[in-house]
Amino acid sequence: MIRRTLKRLAPTWVASPLRRSIQTACFLAFLGLFFYVCCPYPTRPAGVWDNWLPQDANLQTGRVGAVTDGAGDESLAAGRVVHVLDRGVDPAEYLGPFRIAEAGDRQLLLDPRDPLTPEQLDKLGTSFGPWSLSDDPPGAWPSHYARGLAAKERVAAELFLLLDPLVSVSTAIAGRTWVWSLGAAAVAIAVCLVVPRGFCAYVCPMGTLLDLFDWLLRPWRRRFVRSGRSPGGTDCSPGGTGRLSARGENAQPWWAWLKYLLLLAVLAAAMFGVLISGFVAAIPVATRALAFLAAPLQTAAFRGWYQVPPFGPGHFVSLGLLAAIVALGLLRPRFWCRYLCPTGAVFSTAGLLRLTQRKVQPGCIACGRCVEICPFDAIAADFSTRPTECTLCRTCGGVCPTKAIRYVPRWSQIEDRPTDEADVRSRARRRFLAGTLGTAAGIGAGIAAAGLTRTLGAGFAVADAFRPVRPPGSVPEPQFLATCIRCGECYRACPNDVLQPLSFEQGLEGLWTPQVVADWSGCEPSCNNCGRVCPTGAIRALALEEKSAARMALAVVDQSTCLPYAGVEACQLCVDECVTAGYHAIEFMQVGTEVDRSGRPIEGTGYLAPVVLAEKCVGCGLCQTRCRAINAVEKGLIAESAIRLQAGSGKEDRLVTGSYRALRRREERRPKPDPTGVKAGEGYLPEFLK
Amino acid sequence: MRQTATCQRRCSGILALGLLLIVAGLARADRIELLSGAKVEGEIVARDEQSVTLKATVGSRTFTRKYPIDRIHAIVKGDDREVLNAMEGGTPAGSASKGKARTPAAVQRTRAEIDQWIDQEGRTPPDWWDSTPLEFPKTLDLSFPEPAPGPWNNQKNVGQYLWDVIHPNQGKWRQGVRFMHHLLTVNKDRPDVHRRIMNTLGGMYYRLLQDFPRAAYWWRRAGVDKDDRFWSGVQLAECYWKMGNKPMAMELLRGIELQYSTIKLLADMGQTEEALRIAESAAQGEAADLACVYAGDACRVAGLHRRALQYYERVLKVPAQGQAKGRIERNHTRARANIEGIKLFDLLDLARVPDGAYRSSSMGYEAPVHVEVTVKGGRIDSVRVTDHREKQYYSSITDTCRKIVAVQGVTGIDATSSATITSEAILNATAKALAGATK
Repeated sequence: MIRRTLKRLAPTWVASPLRRSIQTACFLAFLGLFFYVCCPYPTRPAGVWDNWLPQDANLQTGRVGAVTDGAGDESLAAGRVVHVLDRGVDPAEYLGPFRIAEAGDRQLLLDPRDPLTPEQLDKLGTSFGPWSLSDDPPGAWPSHYARGLAAKERVAAELFLLLDPLVSVSTAIAGRTWVWSLGAAAVAIAVCLVVPRGFCAYVCPMGTLLDLFDWLLRPWRRRFVRSGRSPGGTDCSPGGTGRLSARGENAQPWWAWLKYLLLLAVLAAAMFGVLISGFVAAIPVATRALAFLAAPLQTAAFRGWYQVPPFGPGHFVSLGLLAAIVALGLLRPRFWCRYLCPTGAVFSTAGLLRLTQRKVQPGCIACGRCVEICPFDAIAADFSTRPTECTLCRTCGGVCPTKAIRYVPRWSQIEDRPTDEADVRSRARRRFLAGTLGTAAGIGAGIAAAGLTRTLGAGFAVADAFRPVRPPGSVPEPQFLATCIRCGECYRACPNDVLQPLSFEQGLEGLWTPQVVADWSGCEPSCNNCGRVCPTGAIRALALEEKSAARMALAVVDQSTCLPYAGVEACQLCVDECVTAGYHAIEFMQVGTEVDRSGRPIEGTGYLAPVVLAEKCVGCGLCQTRCRAINAVEKGLIAESAIRLQAGSGKEDRLVTGSYRALRRREERRPKPDPTGVKAGEGYLPEFLK
Repeated sequence: MRQTATCQRRCSGILALGLLLIVAGLARADRIELLSGAKVEGEIVARDEQSVTLKATVGSRTFTRKYPIDRIHAIVKGDDREVLNAMEGGTPAGSASKGKARTPAAVQRTRAEIDQWIDQEGRTPPDWWDSTPLEFPKTLDLSFPEPAPGPWNNQKNVGQYLWDVIHPNQGKWRQGVRFMHHLLTVNKDRPDVHRRIMNTLGGMYYRLLQDFPRAAYWWRRAGVDKDDRFWSGVQLAECYWKMGNKPMAMELLRGIELQYSTIKLLADMGQTEEALRIAESAAQGEAADLACVYAGDACRVAGLHRRALQYYERVLKVPAQGQAKGRIERNHTRARANIEGIKLFDLLDLARVPDGAYRSSSMGYEAPVHVEVTVKGGRIDSVRVTDHREKQYYSSITDTCRKIVAVQGVTGIDATSSATITSEAILNATAKALAGATK
């Protein structure tokens, strides 16, 4: 009974439970990586608890009690290590890490984590608080977003992108660089020698997504096909076999070759340094679809609609592309995978070296069930295998009533129906001709695409061309454009959607590449997620201390609108943001001071105005976000933020290799012009006072 | 709003310090001097072979400290001084130059000690000296003419450079002081300029670095203590007080012409009534706004919130007109901010808030945070954020509300880390809601 229901609802599950199970597991893993691992929000910053007062202390052991009049906090539990900072003195003094030995209601008993030195014991003995307890030692750079991703990332968050061989290969060619994910791609291909094109049936999340949609679209597909608009004259009517009726029994339709054409086009464009694989390769299309559609929904559901950034034309183009791919399912299940997917074409090509194969034994009674159920159009009309299409999903074997279908090593001697390779050979001339034409068309299309992209591209030669602010650690712009696969992982992993896709601001060349939208949000000091999840190294995976030294842009103050400069009102939002973030890259300058008749400045007149220190500003954009939100949007005093990021030469660091910190140190070490010749350490008291 | 709260905290800190000094002056406590140079005062309650236990009281808190014998230099009980371990390299230099003066052990010093301290510190460079490079714009006119000629130019005139560039930036303060020392060397042959530079140096050590001994040294060099043409006399008096000799401060204050800042210093030192007497007589003069602002501040420092309100209200009654229009307007702003601060934080009395739900809002990270407070029977029953557009608020929204209910107030609550602005917006909005509902 169960079996019958299952058979009706999910015949492919019954036919090939292993395949469907693995497929489901992979899809769940993909969703998990996307919705859970890459989601930056659950993480919490290191805790800080102020206003604790030291009580009785034993200066032999260092054990000390502490109480608070405040609200207390249950998370301060026994065993937790807190760093103690005495704020009762100026500057505040660090007393060291302590382990909570006992925790009561608003009181703690602390033991030093490490034995205290006599100096530390003295400090403790003379410390009267108030203390501030914290998870991190004082001065530690915040790292909660980075830690959050690292803690969840058991496998690489961008795993499926790494496994897509077209991503790695095209990037390596276009960027003229070694892409470390080539290794992962090689593994994927190697596995697919054993399970030819198995990626498509077992692993590919795009394929699974299409399976789901194909299942949902079933009713409409029947209607659609019945209306007689079926392409290629396939007999898809309920009583039919799903086989081609025209142009030779065993031949595939001409568009079955489109995937090779697309593959050639992608590779040809890559040869010319233009990366278009992100438009068509399976995994980037899938990840981008989630990033553009599912991630905003997740944000809306859990964090509020107001946190969803507005859509641009680029979003709609990408979603249109996805809709088209899904809609092709109205023609046939997995239309995209069968005929168009260039990643599939890579596996098909690799399938020429396959080690295993589907074979049909003489027991075949020609019932046609296998042809009907095959999702990849891999079974010819005579039930023989189209080996480059077959994904070894074993569904046909499951439905074969006589168990005539076997999956065996290629060299296995068991009897097999002649494959269409024989058929192909018989028409070699035509195939050769078509092949040549196809190759030429593919390469031509690739060159055309490359040309088009460049023509409508970033325009490096143009001086005032649009220069987007790229994520921290992005390689130089031409190489960035040649290696960014436009998968959308970085926008996904970016807290508060600082990174958003470009539309056509930078032409076709920049479509869907990430840019920093500081009007929306600023880059979090504690985060390096974008580089961590980038599958191709277009954004380098930087350690947090490197990332916090990498300049992505320069904040520039517009003195005609900045409120203090313009004499409108006092404002220090940008400075506060910069100090809180820990960059200290904006200084004050007193402006608009009034003077009395004797020329003396009048206390209390004028304003403190911001001055950006170019050598310290990393271009995180937090200043711009706040200025816009408060002064422009909330108060309506100005039209747009008065402090804005600018990218371009001299305003950003774009290193292919090497350390940003070392770069900054080299800059600092450049000797500053000494105006006087007075050496450091001299000149405190002039001679006449000694 | 935020500034008001901070200012308030700072003021109460100063008040506490003042009280402590008074208390310390009354009762002679036992003292333990550690080998590190630090000193702690209190009552020695126990002593054994290995350790000495000291009971100290700060405000209403009493606690004990158990010090190992081998870390102690000396124990002072009344007039007896018992040295347990000799200091390396003789006696601790300048009594307090080593180790920071820590409350509550802030030490009272004799006139001789103060003089010695000032001279010793003043003649040696501060510890940051060697690591601070000498940097200044080449365009500056190092002859330091007075008054500065021509239009305002902070790249040419030294005073304007200090005003515009150095003073607003903490990161440049040491560099600025270093530059002024250099200016003194450059002008070594022009005695007329010396006093002006020294006076400026004193002001920078005092106002920027809070290095009171050096401030006092340079002010004394400039002759501030002997010549009441200098306005810095009051500040020099404050240095004496901060260094531990209030009589010296009072003596100097009496010797110089009354200034508005005298009111502030007297209030800080706890002489509130005297401060207010001066303020009252000054308020009859032409700058009533200034006198009343200072009087209000004096009351606030002493915790006399209602009287402070009255003075600030008086400031608002002074019409902003005439030559001093700008100043009076600025004092109006200041008074208004203080009135709000007092009403929101100092005068918050839940007993005077009738039962009910009250709403208010305060600016958060990007937009106002709206809060609803429910009061029941003189207690804050609940605090709820009704609307906000914060981006990353972590747990601040629930945390801060919970803490407000837990402490039944809006002061002494620490912000949720990395969401300080949201926490403060909730606190401010709650304070506003309660202040608006107070009968």
